[in-house]
Amino acid sequence: MGKELNSVELGKLNKPGKRTYTHREWRGWKDTFYDFSRWLHNLKVMSKFILKPTSLKALFTYRWFGNYLAAFDYIDRHMEGVRGPQLRIGHIEYDSIVEHLTQTMDTLFKCDKRIGNKHGKYDALNKKLVIMDENGMMVIATGFPNLKFLSKEVPSVYTGSTIAQDGVLHYIDVSEEFQIPSDVCPMPCAELGVAIDEDYPICGVCSVHCNTTCDGSLMGNQIEDRHDDLPSFTMAAPMRHQQQSVLAYSRDQVVAAIHFIEEHTGEKWNWDAFAKNMKVYNAQNKVFDEWLEINKTDFPQVCGNNLMLYRDAEYMVISGRDATFLKQDEEILRLAKEGYQHKVKVAKEMRHRALVWGVHAQYYTAFNQWLANCWGIVVLCDMLSFTLTKPIHYEDHEQAMLDLGEYNMNMIMRNHSNGGYEVGVEQLWQYCEEYRADTVIMYEHIGCKSMAGYHGLIEEEGRKRGLHIIWVYHALMNPTKASRKDMREDVNRYMKTVMRETPLDPTLVDMDDTTRW
Amino acid sequence: MEMGGYYLTALFCEACRALLERALEGGFNFLDAVIAPEACAMMNRCVENIEHLNCCTKPKFFASYCDVPMKSDEVTLKHYVLQMQEHVLKPLHEHYGIDISDQAIRQAVEDQNKISRLITEIGDYRKLEQPRITGYEFAVFCLASYCCPKDLLIPMLEETAEELKTRKPEPLGTYRARVALVGSEVDDPMLLKLAEESGVIVVADRYCFGSLPGRQEIVLQPDEDALTQVCRYYMTSGQCPRFLTTEKVDERHAYVDKIAKEYHADGLIIEQIKFCDYWDYGRALMNATMQHEYGYPTLSIDRPYNVGESSGQIRTRIQAFVESLEIKTIERKEREAK
Repeated sequence: MGKELNSVELGKLNKPGKRTYTHREWRGWKDTFYDFSRWLHNLKVMSKFILKPTSLKALFTYRWFGNYLAAFDYIDRHMEGVRGPQLRIGHIEYDSIVEHLTQTMDTLFKCDKRIGNKHGKYDALNKKLVIMDENGMMVIATGFPNLKFLSKEVPSVYTGSTIAQDGVLHYIDVSEEFQIPSDVCPMPCAELGVAIDEDYPICGVCSVHCNTTCDGSLMGNQIEDRHDDLPSFTMAAPMRHQQQSVLAYSRDQVVAAIHFIEEHTGEKWNWDAFAKNMKVYNAQNKVFDEWLEINKTDFPQVCGNNLMLYRDAEYMVISGRDATFLKQDEEILRLAKEGYQHKVKVAKEMRHRALVWGVHAQYYTAFNQWLANCWGIVVLCDMLSFTLTKPIHYEDHEQAMLDLGEYNMNMIMRNHSNGGYEVGVEQLWQYCEEYRADTVIMYEHIGCKSMAGYHGLIEEEGRKRGLHIIWVYHALMNPTKASRKDMREDVNRYMKTVMRETPLDPTLVDMDDTTRW
Repeated sequence: MEMGGYYLTALFCEACRALLERALEGGFNFLDAVIAPEACAMMNRCVENIEHLNCCTKPKFFASYCDVPMKSDEVTLKHYVLQMQEHVLKPLHEHYGIDISDQAIRQAVEDQNKISRLITEIGDYRKLEQPRITGYEFAVFCLASYCCPKDLLIPMLEETAEELKTRKPEPLGTYRARVALVGSEVDDPMLLKLAEESGVIVVADRYCFGSLPGRQEIVLQPDEDALTQVCRYYMTSGQCPRFLTTEKVDERHAYVDKIAKEYHADGLIIEQIKFCDYWDYGRALMNATMQHEYGYPTLSIDRPYNVGESSGQIRTRIQAFVESLEIKTIERKEREAK
């Protein structure tokens, strides 16, 4: 029990019927102290946030806000069994998300007509607030330095559902009462539920909707838009984003969105601010590529789902607008390089080099950590993190708009789940070769029709290539359809019956965490 | 649909699964090409499977995928036209030497207009108090107009239109209520037959593969290229839920109201094929809107692809809907009498 990987029987930290761990994990003096110091740091950040009158009022106004009580447990779950550089990398990633999210919610609550702006106190701020669809790329915000771009769905649904596994079940129920069938993707379904329940903050001067990620998402947006009493613009990003013939239209949509924002906020697109942000964004993407290069080696360092959650925030939401993220990226790179030089292992035994394909379960984003701790399956990268990294040409304005058009079509996930066979199937095999992966954790998100359409093709093609394709069924934000335990069982079954392997940590094989946050 | 279910999973649109199954059986070996508009992800996956599993064996067979509009404006029109040129017309010309000139498109539109005029003429009999054609019969003609060679179909439609001029309608009371059938794709007229056996007559068909919209004349002007005009027609008249702007969503509901009035429908059956993402949401919203904003009695159902004649559950629901419509009629008459 201590600083070595797998020196703690992690399954025993979990007690059936409890919401959280029985006690904190002992990681040896140095790592435990570091982990606890970050816990204290997050406590400080969140205390500062929650003690604001607007936040306190929000706690009693919005059902979804209660999910954030589980934020500490959420971070602990993702740090399970982690040591050394990975612990530090993980904390840089999560702690920055915590800080960014508290800032987001702070602005939302200040501008909210139900809370901070009830008597017009924050009118000036509200007039600078543009509401972006959760699935929209914030690259279109990069030329508006005086405006704030926020998504209401991220704090209420997206993050909430990762923090507490039952965090959005109520909203799914609300949508189903509205006659949305239960076979749809729970994400737009829950987002719609929040709208029907009138549980979104009322704020902003205008809003931008989009058709990304998928058919279900664009349909949910149609109804949400009716609940939003704001002038709105709809960006229709072409679906076949690999075809050259669609790029001009995607650019046109971005340009039209910019004009719409200019019209409703009185602000003008600022090329200098855009160039400044794009320098940061390009640098972030470059650093990201370097992380992935390390992951291709025998000693990968920036792994698991921590990579995805951070990349998601940085790629889609930050989009170069916050230079502190670049500093963090560079610090992560430094730690990763150091780890690589010292041949640091991310699992006690790296038995399988794996890639994750498909969409992860929001209620079990720590699944990759379990894979490494329990079976030595190290996830080197995942479908959602394989994003565009090509530089944006900020000096050539015409080309810049084309680049933004391309990025806009290639939002996270959509760049593989939509766009055709080449990106949905073929690219997986290319990545497997590049990363020398022998295993694919293939998520079957049972509401995601886009990826389901490749089920048979992936199975057959994977077999031809001698890859282990492990199908893991889940329902994105609805653990009542396929629980965390069910997901683990999909892997356990394969590892025991096909691979005939024994677990690295037997206490993790069969545990009941149904009631956990 | 076992094989279709394996490749596409059991929660996939059943129409797509059935199509892939048929393709795997060799049922589409006669095809020279599949052109798949990126209107819905599931249909695209279906076509991708057909292509990559080499289900169609003709030597020059090809599959082409094209982006289609999700908004209705001039910028989108330009994009739509380009997509049709690049992914429909050019490949057809390159593979099979098909004439894609403006003149050829105008001729094709004229041929199509002949069909549309005939279908409209036949369909207009549904507006009568005693319709001379049932919804089921009309759906068979309409479906044929989507998949039969025009030159073979026109004489038959002309003959039918002539017959209908003197056809004796069913006596009043044969059908207990008039409904508009609205929703996702229906390529099996047995659904209408089932509905009509349950006591309603389907007087308006606003579903995919129905005639409203889709079987109206396209009027071309001489001063603009035909392709742009055809694209504009489909973009502006299209009522597919993939059109996501609020104006188009509102237009969709207003259009249902318009045809319900025009065809004197007592109520609406809003249906969707199971697992259709678009209509999962479109049906729920339409049901709420048509009931609460427009005041129509509605029956909202999600149904399996193959309804057949033996679907007891749907029959029961339609029968109950008919009874509710009758009760509403009685109550209205009582109110008017007072």
